[in-house]
Amino acid sequence: MRTAALVVATLAILGSAATAIAHLNPALVGGLAAVAFGALAVWAGASAVALHASDELTEPRRHHGPTEGPEPVELMTRSGLFGRWLWIALGGFVVAGLVPLVSLGRTPRRGGTAWRRGARLVTADGKLVRADAVGVGGITTVFPEGNVGAHEASALLIRLEDGLAQLPSDRTGWTPSGNIAYSKICTHAGCPVALYRKESYQLYCPCHQSTFDVLFAARPLSGPATRALPQLPLAVDGEGYLIAQGDFSDPVGPDSWWRTV
Amino acid sequence: MIVRRVGRFFDERLGSDAWLRTLFAKIFPDHWSFYLGEFALYCFVVLVATGVWMTFVYEPAPGAAYPSVLKFTHATPIGYEMRQVHHWAAVTFVAAILVHMGRIFFTAAYRKPREINWVVGILMLTLASLTGFTGYSLPDDALSGTGLRIATSVTESLPFIGGWAADLLNGGSYPGPLLLSHLYTLHVYFLPVTIGALLAIHLGLMVYQKHTQFVPDERRVVGRRAWPDYALRTTAVFCATTAVLLVLAALVEINPIEAYGPYHDWAIPNPAVPDWYAAWLEGALRLGPAVELRIFGHPVPAVFWPGVVLPLAAFALVVSWPWIDKLLTRDDAWHEVLAPATTAPWRVGVGAAMITAGVVLTLAASDDQTAAAIHVPVTALVTLYRLAFPLGSLAAGLIAAAIAAQLRERYDRYGAHRERVVTLRRNAQGGFDEEEPAAS
Repeated sequence: MRTAALVVATLAILGSAATAIAHLNPALVGGLAAVAFGALAVWAGASAVALHASDELTEPRRHHGPTEGPEPVELMTRSGLFGRWLWIALGGFVVAGLVPLVSLGRTPRRGGTAWRRGARLVTADGKLVRADAVGVGGITTVFPEGNVGAHEASALLIRLEDGLAQLPSDRTGWTPSGNIAYSKICTHAGCPVALYRKESYQLYCPCHQSTFDVLFAARPLSGPATRALPQLPLAVDGEGYLIAQGDFSDPVGPDSWWRTV
Repeated sequence: MIVRRVGRFFDERLGSDAWLRTLFAKIFPDHWSFYLGEFALYCFVVLVATGVWMTFVYEPAPGAAYPSVLKFTHATPIGYEMRQVHHWAAVTFVAAILVHMGRIFFTAAYRKPREINWVVGILMLTLASLTGFTGYSLPDDALSGTGLRIATSVTESLPFIGGWAADLLNGGSYPGPLLLSHLYTLHVYFLPVTIGALLAIHLGLMVYQKHTQFVPDERRVVGRRAWPDYALRTTAVFCATTAVLLVLAALVEINPIEAYGPYHDWAIPNPAVPDWYAAWLEGALRLGPAVELRIFGHPVPAVFWPGVVLPLAAFALVVSWPWIDKLLTRDDAWHEVLAPATTAPWRVGVGAAMITAGVVLTLAASDDQTAAAIHVPVTALVTLYRLAFPLGSLAAGLIAAAIAAQLRERYDRYGAHRERVVTLRRNAQGGFDEEEPAAS
């Protein structure tokens, strides 16, 4: 049986190599290699069982207690090298050593996103968006024209029945023909808030299940998010295309220590 | 013939024959559970072998990483297998370490003099998870890219240094131009080389201090010779591990990045769940309270507590466990013999509670899918898991401890006499005396 196992292992591993060279099914390549290793395992296991010779051998264990004689620390301190000035010098090296470390990163100062006053909205494939392009109840991802895919610029454009949204008074006129847009970057951990439940007007993040109320300025309803999704002020230009009145209402993405809202 | 000449070459220069003879004659205690650590070790071997191959075909640059993975997956005869085996080996590696750690924990193998190896092991577990996460992120697909975005948000949530630290990792604001190159350096160099070094310490200490055993003899190692008995067994474990990983890779597709698409910060697959060993942190982020503290006007975001404080606390608890055990048991004696789990019911309870806590957090990472499958709102499941995290863990711990205590009692009453080993010595009167058991 042990010889048979070795024969199987040899044939299978060469078969695996041949299958790979012939560009056959990858699963066959791996399967044959698995058979080869399995057969080797059988050979080793069977050999071990066949030996069953050295079952109950013993050897003495080492026991360590404290070692006799003066401690190395004592030998070192006895030399008198460890004076105050040595410690001060070492401290100086440690402090100076922080410089290369600290210089590796800098605190990122984030300006806003790529949205500017008058920037026209485009979809991910670069098409301009008319005020009636999205049907009532519909949703699409939009970017500023010329900046498709720009970092943290993605916004969700949702079409509501006109006048349904209950926004703060300083946001009047941000939703032409019921078009309303929020940042797509979750304020919790930065995932795309990719899902929309249109019957309850909720945006939903697939990462950690934060939900946001589209009708009430995207305030967080449930889940771990603590801050509303920033809103993009919209308007319609002379040709009937949706444009932004400026950047998002608030900083996009999660908060951090130096990033106060 | 060649082997003999090579052996002579080294022996003449290093006297290596003497070491090898000692090594061959070394005795290893034998028990099936002692092979769990080797299972993990051989996963690491498979990871290195398949990983080195992939370094020749992967390109760690923004925009180029994802296509390079797709290319080598489909254009080379074994690219698909390599990726599959590597990923399966990675998730199995972490699992094997955890199971091995469970054996060490429940038999109290970490007691004096083996506290050092416990700490080394926990460091390797941590590094294995980090290596897994950095490797999982290298293809720059939609799922792992989102994972990196979350990791960046968690890093940024650190008070004071968060922005600096996130910027350091990313090589600029997220997603920095150097992010993939940093991950690549970490994944193929810093982390695995550190694991390799720790592994050498781990195994070196195991050989030097000699392995623990169940045989109740504190003074001698009872077991099998290294050559050929143990060598054949460990070869069988290596081959079996490799065979299992190859079978999994051949039959079960893992991490199909083709289906996820390349990463953009505005697109994500749904459902979005990380590899299993990272799921407890993802679950913690889902269960974490929606609270943003202000300290001197600076925000401490909600992700800070589940994303930073919880894993650090867990790490601190686990790493210091041998010393917590010492405090609880007031036992600082030398132990070569393992304590069967039932000898300390409270230890069984603590282990069960920690496992339950981990399982609850892991389950929480897929709460949306569970909620959809059983038609309940996600918020209800979140509430359930939030309660289960402390209370379920406590209950599981108490139940496990009670069961262990009962088993011990039964053993004390019925089993102890049957299994006691005594040495009899003939005395001068011709009768028999029990020899005092060897003191530890």
